[in-house]
Amino acid sequence: MGRATSSSSSSIESSNHFAFSNTGASSSSQRDLSTDLRLGLSISTSPSYGREQQSDWPPIKPLLGQALAEDENECNSATFFVKVYMEGIPIGRKLDLLAHESYYDLIKTLEQMFNANIIWAEAEVDADHYEKYHVLTYEDKEGDWMMVGDVPWEMFLSAVRRLKITKC
Amino acid sequence: MNYFPDEVLEHVFDFISSHKDRNSVSLVCKSWYKIERFSRQRVFIGNCYSISPDRLIARFPGLKSLTLKGKPHFADFNLVPHDWGGFLDPWIRALAKSRIGLEELRLKRMVVSDESLELLSKSFLNFKSLVLVSCEGFTTDGIAAIAANCRFLRELDLQENEVDDHRGHWLSCFPESCTSLVSLNFACLKGEINLGALERLVVRSPNLKSLRLNRAVPLDTLQKILMRAPQVVDLGTGSYVHDPSSEVYNKLKSAFQRCKSIRSLSGFLEVAPRCMSAIYPICTNLTFLNLSYAPGLHGNELTKLIQHCRKLQRLWILDCIGDKGLGVVASTCKELQELRVFPSDPYGAGNAAVTEEGLVLISAGCTKLNSLLYFCQQMTNAALITVAKNCPNFIRFRLCILDPIKPDAVTNQPLDEGFGAIVQSCKGLKRLSLSGLLTDQVFLYIGMYAEQLEMLSIAFAGDSDKGMLYVLNGCKKLRKLEIRDCPFGNAALLEDVGKYETMRSLWMSSCEVTLGGCKTLAEKMPSLSVEIINDTDQMEFSLDDRQKVEKMYLYRTLVGHREDAPEFVWIL
Repeated sequence: MGRATSSSSSSIESSNHFAFSNTGASSSSQRDLSTDLRLGLSISTSPSYGREQQSDWPPIKPLLGQALAEDENECNSATFFVKVYMEGIPIGRKLDLLAHESYYDLIKTLEQMFNANIIWAEAEVDADHYEKYHVLTYEDKEGDWMMVGDVPWEMFLSAVRRLKITKC
Repeated sequence: MNYFPDEVLEHVFDFISSHKDRNSVSLVCKSWYKIERFSRQRVFIGNCYSISPDRLIARFPGLKSLTLKGKPHFADFNLVPHDWGGFLDPWIRALAKSRIGLEELRLKRMVVSDESLELLSKSFLNFKSLVLVSCEGFTTDGIAAIAANCRFLRELDLQENEVDDHRGHWLSCFPESCTSLVSLNFACLKGEINLGALERLVVRSPNLKSLRLNRAVPLDTLQKILMRAPQVVDLGTGSYVHDPSSEVYNKLKSAFQRCKSIRSLSGFLEVAPRCMSAIYPICTNLTFLNLSYAPGLHGNELTKLIQHCRKLQRLWILDCIGDKGLGVVASTCKELQELRVFPSDPYGAGNAAVTEEGLVLISAGCTKLNSLLYFCQQMTNAALITVAKNCPNFIRFRLCILDPIKPDAVTNQPLDEGFGAIVQSCKGLKRLSLSGLLTDQVFLYIGMYAEQLEMLSIAFAGDSDKGMLYVLNGCKKLRKLEIRDCPFGNAALLEDVGKYETMRSLWMSSCEVTLGGCKTLAEKMPSLSVEIINDTDQMEFSLDDRQKVEKMYLYRTLVGHREDAPEFVWIL
């Protein structure tokens, strides 16, 4: 007949009505989902199995699931604020580097924060109009000022002390 | 059959301790049945609803140790509503009224109330040992009653229970005169405890061999405890967080050096980096290491630790060890018999760190491996075939691919051949859990080759009723079958109804069986209890026999339908 849908047994509310509702309507949507299942379309690794506390997949005991989720939350709430100065503006800003996942992310935030076009190691630049741009640099653990973007993101995170945006 | 006086037979039966053997002995003849039942001290009841307390007490008046299991296994994964059943209360009340001198009680997946614990603590003068695994319904007040009233308590072992923690005072309830403790495990308690009371308890318990602390016990208390109890064999640390350059940490190091008996280590419920070197001296003699609650431990620190553990027989770990880390395990732990790898990021998006490669490395290096629980990102048939060849001694093989219907990661084929190789090679296999993309073919293999199989767990597998039928017809020793989200329906369920009398239980959820099918089964087999569990918000059970049943649990029983079923359970 086709594989039973995965969602019918999970804690996702919308699917629980399959249990005792009208067989006609529900079984056709059940079949659609099962086709998706076979094609691997709607099943990604786990979001469909629910991030809720009452999840029934993967089959781990609730105490272990809670302990691991707690630890993840602790990691997610870690922050790393650094000072950011724009040349010519005496008052600086502060920025949480751990709220960003990559250099691209960081540049986007800074460009919004300071309303400027910012160059870093991998930026594409319009060579005729350098004066429009600002350069992003950082002070590392040794006190040297370096252009942002040359080293891997994680390495940058462990070295950076503060940021400066200077005119080209 | 009686060539010997009863006393001689009784003496002979004393040497027979396994439940299975004693059950067999009791079936030989009436006389042996009588002698056996009067001399039986330990009874194991795998399903608390298969028999009643009164019949237990009537048959075994000499009962000293009782093991009871309640909810079905899938209750561990939130598939069974909390108040489904498995209540301890009627058992304790019946035992308390009788003349039974209960000394030991071991419970799994039961609902235990504070009242029951208090009654237990007051009813049996010689009560020595309480082990609660995956139970719920009680608070630390119930534990306090046990501590206060059981004068000869040797063992209080709380494993992975959901306990309402009323904080602290239960430890102080152990009287000063209590010096008999051998084993104390409260790792699953979430609340604060009286550290002074803990230290004093340890000091006056010279026989203490097993101690597992909870998260509220800091490192400096651990250090003080170890100094007073260097004879400990099984240790569960609490919070393992401290500045590695501090005085306390140095003291801890010397404390560990004195603990020459530690063979089993667990805990690390919070871990600070660079603190693990303190335990290197114990690692050389460790046979069991459980790091499954320590996601903060990974990378080099973890592998360095493993490299010290050459005598390890059982290892429970998180998948952040990675395939490479498993390679280190494979080359270091040549005595390894049991490996469990849990997912460190169970609800994340595919960040799982182990694949089929890690498993293959383990199988090549750890040839004594006989028990496996492996949560992984992906698997291949080739890997499973290799594992089957390298490790023919598996008794338990449980594989869980986090994406439950993922095919062979290389060939995109179902994993039928891989699991087929496992069952064919491992002739002693007793427990199997499948996952990945699987067709009816895998069940054909299981039915054909898994002759010793007692427990089978299936999820999201198979194409048709044939799959389930291969298993029911082929596995003669099958005792527990649990199935979820498979296309097995009434034809499979009803083909051989007598089979279920040879099994302890069958669980089927989100399959194709209908209410009508379940009703037919219940009618044909009055010795079975067929339960329909409806835990949706629907208030009424539909009367349409064509409706598919969301959750069905059936089990053999000698005492008919239970009377404590909640509203949402319908016993047909």
